[in-house]
Amino acid sequence: MVLNAREEILARLKSAPPASVAGRPELPPAREMALDAGQLAARFEEQLAAQGGIAMHAADETALLAKLEEILRQESVSRAMAATDAVLAPLALESWGQQVGIEIVTPSAFSDRDGYTRAVFDQVQAGITGADFAVAESGTLVLVHDELQPRLVSLAPLVHIAVVPRARIVPTYEAAILSLFDGRRPSQVTLITGPSMTADIQATPFKGMHGPQKLFVLLLG
Amino acid sequence: MKVTTDRFRQTALEELANARTQKFLQILPLRLSARRQEAYGSFSDPEAAHRLGQAIRGEALARLPELLETFERNALANGAKIFWAADSQAANRYIADLARSKGARYVTKGKSMITEELGLNDHLAQCGISAWETDLGEFIAQLLEKPPFHIVGPAINIPVEQIRDIFLEKGVLDQPTLDPVTLGRAARRFLRDKFRDLQMGITGVNIAVAETGTVINVENEGNIRFNKSAPKTLVCVMSLEKVVPTLADALHQLRVLCRSATGQAAGAYISLDSGPKKADETDGPEELHIVILDNGRSAIYQNRHTREALRCIRCGACLNACPVYGKVGGYPYGWAYSGPMGQVLTPALRGLAETGDLIRACTLCHRCKTICPAGIDHPGLLLHYRNKDVQADPLLQGRGADPRERLAHRLFALAGSRYTYWRIFSKVLSRAARLFGKGAMLRGLGPLGRGWFLSRDLPAPAKKSFHERWRQRKD
Repeated sequence: MVLNAREEILARLKSAPPASVAGRPELPPAREMALDAGQLAARFEEQLAAQGGIAMHAADETALLAKLEEILRQESVSRAMAATDAVLAPLALESWGQQVGIEIVTPSAFSDRDGYTRAVFDQVQAGITGADFAVAESGTLVLVHDELQPRLVSLAPLVHIAVVPRARIVPTYEAAILSLFDGRRPSQVTLITGPSMTADIQATPFKGMHGPQKLFVLLLG
Repeated sequence: MKVTTDRFRQTALEELANARTQKFLQILPLRLSARRQEAYGSFSDPEAAHRLGQAIRGEALARLPELLETFERNALANGAKIFWAADSQAANRYIADLARSKGARYVTKGKSMITEELGLNDHLAQCGISAWETDLGEFIAQLLEKPPFHIVGPAINIPVEQIRDIFLEKGVLDQPTLDPVTLGRAARRFLRDKFRDLQMGITGVNIAVAETGTVINVENEGNIRFNKSAPKTLVCVMSLEKVVPTLADALHQLRVLCRSATGQAAGAYISLDSGPKKADETDGPEELHIVILDNGRSAIYQNRHTREALRCIRCGACLNACPVYGKVGGYPYGWAYSGPMGQVLTPALRGLAETGDLIRACTLCHRCKTICPAGIDHPGLLLHYRNKDVQADPLLQGRGADPRERLAHRLFALAGSRYTYWRIFSKVLSRAARLFGKGAMLRGLGPLGRGWFLSRDLPAPAKKSFHERWRQRKD
């Protein structure tokens, strides 16, 4: 039965009269391709702001941690969950949190999935992640989800703070994403452009419909 | 969802008289069209970007069977499970059986037109499984049992009082309020409880990538990401035309889709899934099921005209451009797909028997065709459907022409076949027009052609014809 449906559908499609494939128009390179590093960062920020995201700068790790503390205090966060991806791991946020008096937990602290799920849904007020890329053309963060970058950390808490080394800002989607699929298949890649938003009731826009109400992007370097 | 395509005329008349509908229609389509226009300005060459999007859809359709096989092979290699569903029943049965085998008492759904097409919620309810829509607009529309008003804002026209009442009734809201944000927060809390303990999530698919076996979803709220991240079982339902050749093609299509739908450079969340979560990953589905739905599409693929409807990427830009949608809104179209998108898709998928008004509610102004990022020739397709309808086409269940209309056309052809006949005919007609006409416009001919005059009028014919005046000229 299952096999039959497949065979029948494909057979019908294949028996259809063939259509020719028309040529494709040449696209001039995206405007972002002509930008230098500083302009790319500016373009990223401008596009992110258009979607309600907030970008901030930190010259080094010390400045970054100061900014992070400022945001967490301003948002009244007493407990946050942090991924342990390549950007965040060197920052040792768990022990930093102990010093400043804000509890930082990591997904690996939970022995089972249910405990982690309950924590990320209900017991933390912010999620902190790195990002694999920031795309200037649309102000978009690219997160590759793997064992160090669980999906719900950037989604379930009301505040999402992403740390992005400036060298990871690229002009276009192609520059970010095509390489991620070169010889591997990440189970999920998420493009994040601003906080969760809706305007479904009376066209009244508001942030934080299901996911974060606020998105902070800390540009490092 | 009840299908009411056969009540197009009645629903349209109701909506024309509905002040709230008219208020929204004066704002929403114009605003979305303007945003789209502005967003296209960020392309280095907007026209070329538009045409590239159309070419990608054209190639995807031309290579459809091959691309589907490639997609299937790669998705299986990624660890996904593939189910080919011949029709709604097969898809619904598969999804309900899966939910049962996972012990799911309820499921949640991301916004997807395809599951509305399936009537999945009703089927699951019959199996004792509740299905919760999680997009805010769809959630409200579901509670009120309304079809989508607009693909981008399914319940945007619903008065807050009505939302308050239904939220109170269904236990979504504790304290009455008319504040849209407070209502939204209540829905957030209610649905968050569903996400936390979720066994199985269901989403549609915006784009499927053949070369990587990836399914892509676009959204603004994050509900689709919850559906894809929280439960252990995920079902992604795709109509078989969603596949594109390469990841690069998908990236360009995302650009035109987001700009065309909401005028955004990118939706807040775009998720690309290639198989289930890997063993060492903390969250994400342990099983990813991809349902490839035919539901009549492989049949309409046989015809090079109707095939064109399958180009559609469901952006909704045509709704905002359409002068008819702009007056009547989404309800008269009577099913999951409204506006010109619905006018080309619904007859292809459901036949012409109950969609006769749909294919005629069009002025052939070509604005939808001009704006369509997928390259659909809506007016051409509607003329094709009208032709198939009067020809009583068996595949599309055309109804055949009304005998009175056929007789009128015969007589008209006869009158035009000889000069003497034509003179008599025009004399009689001009007399009749003077008899029934009021002032400068002719709005009916008594008992004749009532249906025709229902939405049309004519300038009243002159007292003397050109030929008569020519004969009587004085020079």
